[in-house]
Amino acid sequence: MQINLKTKIWFTICFIVLMFSFFTLFYFPNQQGKLLINDYNKEIQNLANTVALGVKIAITEQNFEGVQTAIEFVKDDPRLQFVSMIQYDTVWKSDHSNYKINKTIFKTFPENQHPSPETTSNDSIIVKEAPFKTDMMTGAIMLGFNTKEIVESKEKIKIASIIVSSIIFFIGIFIGFVLARNISVPVLALRDAANRVGEGDLNQKVKHMSNDEIGELGKAFNKMVDDLSKTRKELNEKNLQLSSTITKLNNTLDELKNTHLQLIQSEKMASLGELTAGIAHEIQNPLNFVNNFSEVNTELIAEMKQEIDNENYEEAKKIANEITDNETKINHHGKRADAIVKNMLQHSRKSTGQKQLTNINVLASEYLRLSYQGLRAKDIGFNATIQTIFDGSIGNINIVPQDIGRVFLNVFNNAFYALNEKRKTTTGNYQPTVLVQTKKTGEIVEIRIKDNGNGIPEKILEKIFQPFFTTKPTGEGTGLGLSLSYDIVKAHRGEIYVESKESQPPAQSDHSDRDDRFEQGEGSVFIIQLPVT
Amino acid sequence: MKKQTHKYKIPVLLSGKVFLLVVCMLLVSMVSKSQQSTLVAIGNSSDVPNDLALSELKSILMGEKQRWKNGDRILIALMKTNTPLGKTTSSKIYDMTGDELNKFWLALVFQGKAQAPKFFSSTEELKNFVAQNRGAIGILDKPITDSEIKFIRIDGQQSF
Repeated sequence: MQINLKTKIWFTICFIVLMFSFFTLFYFPNQQGKLLINDYNKEIQNLANTVALGVKIAITEQNFEGVQTAIEFVKDDPRLQFVSMIQYDTVWKSDHSNYKINKTIFKTFPENQHPSPETTSNDSIIVKEAPFKTDMMTGAIMLGFNTKEIVESKEKIKIASIIVSSIIFFIGIFIGFVLARNISVPVLALRDAANRVGEGDLNQKVKHMSNDEIGELGKAFNKMVDDLSKTRKELNEKNLQLSSTITKLNNTLDELKNTHLQLIQSEKMASLGELTAGIAHEIQNPLNFVNNFSEVNTELIAEMKQEIDNENYEEAKKIANEITDNETKINHHGKRADAIVKNMLQHSRKSTGQKQLTNINVLASEYLRLSYQGLRAKDIGFNATIQTIFDGSIGNINIVPQDIGRVFLNVFNNAFYALNEKRKTTTGNYQPTVLVQTKKTGEIVEIRIKDNGNGIPEKILEKIFQPFFTTKPTGEGTGLGLSLSYDIVKAHRGEIYVESKESQPPAQSDHSDRDDRFEQGEGSVFIIQLPVT
Repeated sequence: MKKQTHKYKIPVLLSGKVFLLVVCMLLVSMVSKSQQSTLVAIGNSSDVPNDLALSELKSILMGEKQRWKNGDRILIALMKTNTPLGKTTSSKIYDMTGDELNKFWLALVFQGKAQAPKFFSSTEELKNFVAQNRGAIGILDKPITDSEIKFIRIDGQQSF
């Protein structure tokens, strides 16, 4: 059960007032009454003692001033009921075996009072005795005072207590009302304002603030709301800026993606360009044959016409036979060019992404040749030794041939580039060599491409598969070749990594049958592992 | 407490000589006794009367009369009962012993009926008290000369 603040305040005030009222109505009068009675008892006892002392002095010294003064003082007290002098007489038994004390009243004032020596205190009278002993007389002074004054005092105290309790009660009610108003109302207002702020209304303000902690709380609340409002505006502005920035970032991202695609396309175009260069170089040969033999046939046809004009039909037949031979060669080389073009078309076609059974040895061999021819087309002075060790047991494996072909092209291009660079800077007997080796181990086909170039420094080994990373001068490479190759091999659930003189091969590689011809000296070995299925 | 009384029994059936002897002896003893218990009443010279009857004196000394005619309070001065004069005063005037006298005055004072006398240990103190207090009356055993004190004739006699 929830008890609200106003109720708590009222409970507290009522509790305090009730406690005070209990104290004022019961405890205080009770204690005062006891105090009065105690003081009264002491006073009466003191008076009795004084009279007794006066009597003793009067008897022993014949000086009656003390007892006279005490008696006059006591007589004048309106509370006096009686003052008696009791005489103690020792009465022995006849055989003097025992005695008893007889108490008799010697004198009493006022004379109309006849108290007994055994009189004791009760509700209406307080009796006190003070003994005295002299040679002449032994006895006690018995003083009896009525309790009228005490009763009247108690009544007065009771009435005063009731009045005070009532005043306190009403003051308490008033204080409770004021407190409830001054504390509960502002707190409730703060609560309502806080709820509305929580719902989103930042125009809420608390009014009528007092000069105390509640007022400070209200001011702090108003300041908090102002700060919240300001912060919200700033947040909204920031949100707008953020949205604008996000839009710009999205645009930038799209641009980057486009650029990435363009770069990839450029890379592809570059590799295609190199491929085309290789292919073009290959086409050049049969086309040369076609052109040469065509020119020769043109001359032979002219000679044949002349021989026919000269009616040298035998000579003309010989020339015709030569022409036929030349046409056969033209046809052959033309078909060669056709095959090369078809092949080029095959390579230039977009990857379908469909895996198909492909002879990895043939694919590697083909792209090796294309890459080599491509580099030679750019730099006619470049020559390299190409060695291949193909595992005939591999057969066909399930790959996307265009994609794996691109991988081979990238790796072969890098190898030939490395060899060419070393060739340019090396003097002496340097024979650029590339070795391509394939091997099947269980369900994995491993293709190793080794070159005897300068090798890859250890500090950049881990970066070479990162996009846009290149060691080539600006304009010569996009830095995407190996990154794309990495992605293609990974898409085939394979592995691609590189070994240099300093690097360590990964544990999954089986190096038991690899060729050791290039173990001595510098160079790089790219290892591609592909699953058979 | 038992009240002591002295009873003088005069034998009536004795012979003449014996009677005379006894009378002489009695007279001698009375004279000697009268010489021993002679009391003199003194008073303050201002307002105490010069003459008083013995009965009036007793009435005053017993506390029955408490003011002079001019309204002044009567202040009684006596010698303490443990002195010879005090004893004489107690027996002759009050017919009481010292203790009885104390009890007598105690009873009166206790009941507020009278103001107790002042008891002195020396006649000089008594005399000075009487001389210095208006309305004071005292009992001595012999006359004295003092301008502030007068002798009160009791039944016309200076001593009694």
